[in-house]
Amino acid sequence: MRLEVRVFSGLEKFMPGARFGQAIEVERPEGTTVAGLVDSLGIPRSQVFTVLVNGRHAAMDAVLQPGDRVSLFPPVGGG
Amino acid sequence: MSRFLRVNMTTGEVKFEEVPEKYMPLGGRALTSQLVYDEVPPTCDPLGPYNKLVIAPGLLSGTSAPSSGRLSVGGKSPLTGGIKEANAGGIASQKLANLGIKAIILEGKPAGSDWYLLKVTPEGAELLPAGDLAGKGTYEVTAICRERYGKKVAVITIGPAGEMLMPAAGVTNNDSDGNSSRYAGRGGLGAVMGSKRIKAIVVDSPATFDVPVQDPERFKAAARKFAKILQDHPVTGQGLPSYGTNVLMNIINEAGALPTRNFRFGRFDKAAEVSGEKLAEVAVARGGKATHACHPGCVMRCSNVYPMPDGKVCAPIEYETAWCFGPNLEIGDLDVIAKLNYICNDVGLDTIEVGCTLGVLAEAGVIPFGDGEAAIRALEEVAKGTPLGRILGGGSANAGKIYGVTRVPAVKGQGIPAYDPRGCKGNGVTYATTPMGADHTAGYAVTANILKVGGFVDPLKAESQVELSRNLQIATAFIDSSGLCLFVAFAVLDNPEGMPAIVEMLNAMYGLNLTADDVLNMGKQVLKVEREFNRKAGFTSADDRLPEFFSQEELPPHNTVFDVRAEELDQVFNF
Repeated sequence: MRLEVRVFSGLEKFMPGARFGQAIEVERPEGTTVAGLVDSLGIPRSQVFTVLVNGRHAAMDAVLQPGDRVSLFPPVGGG
Repeated sequence: MSRFLRVNMTTGEVKFEEVPEKYMPLGGRALTSQLVYDEVPPTCDPLGPYNKLVIAPGLLSGTSAPSSGRLSVGGKSPLTGGIKEANAGGIASQKLANLGIKAIILEGKPAGSDWYLLKVTPEGAELLPAGDLAGKGTYEVTAICRERYGKKVAVITIGPAGEMLMPAAGVTNNDSDGNSSRYAGRGGLGAVMGSKRIKAIVVDSPATFDVPVQDPERFKAAARKFAKILQDHPVTGQGLPSYGTNVLMNIINEAGALPTRNFRFGRFDKAAEVSGEKLAEVAVARGGKATHACHPGCVMRCSNVYPMPDGKVCAPIEYETAWCFGPNLEIGDLDVIAKLNYICNDVGLDTIEVGCTLGVLAEAGVIPFGDGEAAIRALEEVAKGTPLGRILGGGSANAGKIYGVTRVPAVKGQGIPAYDPRGCKGNGVTYATTPMGADHTAGYAVTANILKVGGFVDPLKAESQVELSRNLQIATAFIDSSGLCLFVAFAVLDNPEGMPAIVEMLNAMYGLNLTADDVLNMGKQVLKVEREFNRKAGFTSADDRLPEFFSQEELPPHNTVFDVRAEELDQVFNF
């Protein structure tokens, strides 16, 4: 299945050529979880603090669906 | 021995007073709000002789407590008509505290049209003529004062917007580099200072961290522990120091809560172009800084230094400002945002209010959305005092009335900040109910709603938002009184040792035996006093509501409306 991945706030350094906020299209098998996706991207799970799938918070064991927009963040805050 | 510095502008009398017993345990917001409640008639004209401007360092300001240099400025707001505490970084708070000044109270109103400067030094305080500073922007005023009184002075000042008594005018002070960009921005307190005919307050103190504490060893241990708690938390230790507050741009956008085109959409396709990541990249490439402290002793260093193409420097660009001039106006260019930010700092306006007002003007067709040059031209009208400039300085609610716009993002007359209440409903509760008018800092539910700090409450559901906002508003009222930067809350919410460490610092400093319950009771008391002032000023539960369109129009991408019921909103302060 095709997924649309975005990485932010320093996570892009784990993915050569990636730029923050830029949509990256990836193919993964059906049934892939958030954790499986993160691992396959080469990003240490410990660096991922917030996962948004289609703009909603998702856990590491959430199963992804075709076409999902997945956004990965390290710890961020401000205001 | 700490004192009040009372300046009566009707008589010109400047005097130091002993602090009455009841005010001794108060600082920052607790002190400004209590003094305003006790001394300002709630029905008075905010720009008349009976309003007062109260400036107070927090309880821990001027010590070695980390990130404790916040300044509270209070009074009756010309924008909301209610009580106001606006909170700023910068170096004035620590200097005032080191001069033993618990609060400056500006009262009365001079008969003539002269301008004054209040000079405060270890030797005392005096009013000086300031006609030569009138009409000047805050950067120039600060530069002149630093030239005249020494490079290390703090300059609390207003710009032409404050002189012209505009309801969106703020009070600023400078950072260690002399940037007059640390604003007590919200609610028009710059106009209150202008109504007193005070152009600037110069604070000259040789010390920054030397306020006496009763038990220095105990204090030092607690301060060290608290610094470690801040450094160990992922947000205060890594997130904020790396990219500053504007790191929020992308996550709020991805969460679908980024108010775009005057609160029409929850995402902006150019959000990344105006984000903290981009800002850091450009700032560093141009010789600026991606991280910078707004006052000495801050461990979070969330500020930045952004060199602009014209050679000037905007320091900092905060998330709220990047949002209100960026996505809110559909502008995807950081240089435009920096320019608008700089003009606001210089002319003396609250950026959030100006951004919301520009959004309303764009809604009305006065300027086009997405047109940075048009926004800049409109903002340049403020210093000239033209009708358009005065409308812009009058705030979003007033602009909406003048142009017949119903899509006005404001509560109690104050513009709504950078989280759409339909996509971050906890903040919606805070906007609706805080005594301050729409204010994101008053109960920052973005923490649990989006950042997963202090637990998680689904941002798109109505459930549990009232309780979340209540608890945050109580804790915030205390933090705002402590002199600590509100951002310590990110760590305190997650680390059970955080609040005890703050209480320990207070106990060691003042020789007290406070508990965590005691300080939360202080927070509750602050809110009660503020609510009571507003009630006497004419506010009712009808004022604790969001604008109608938030409950009628769905916000893409989640297509939600604000659906926390009115009866629930009325339960926020049921303590």
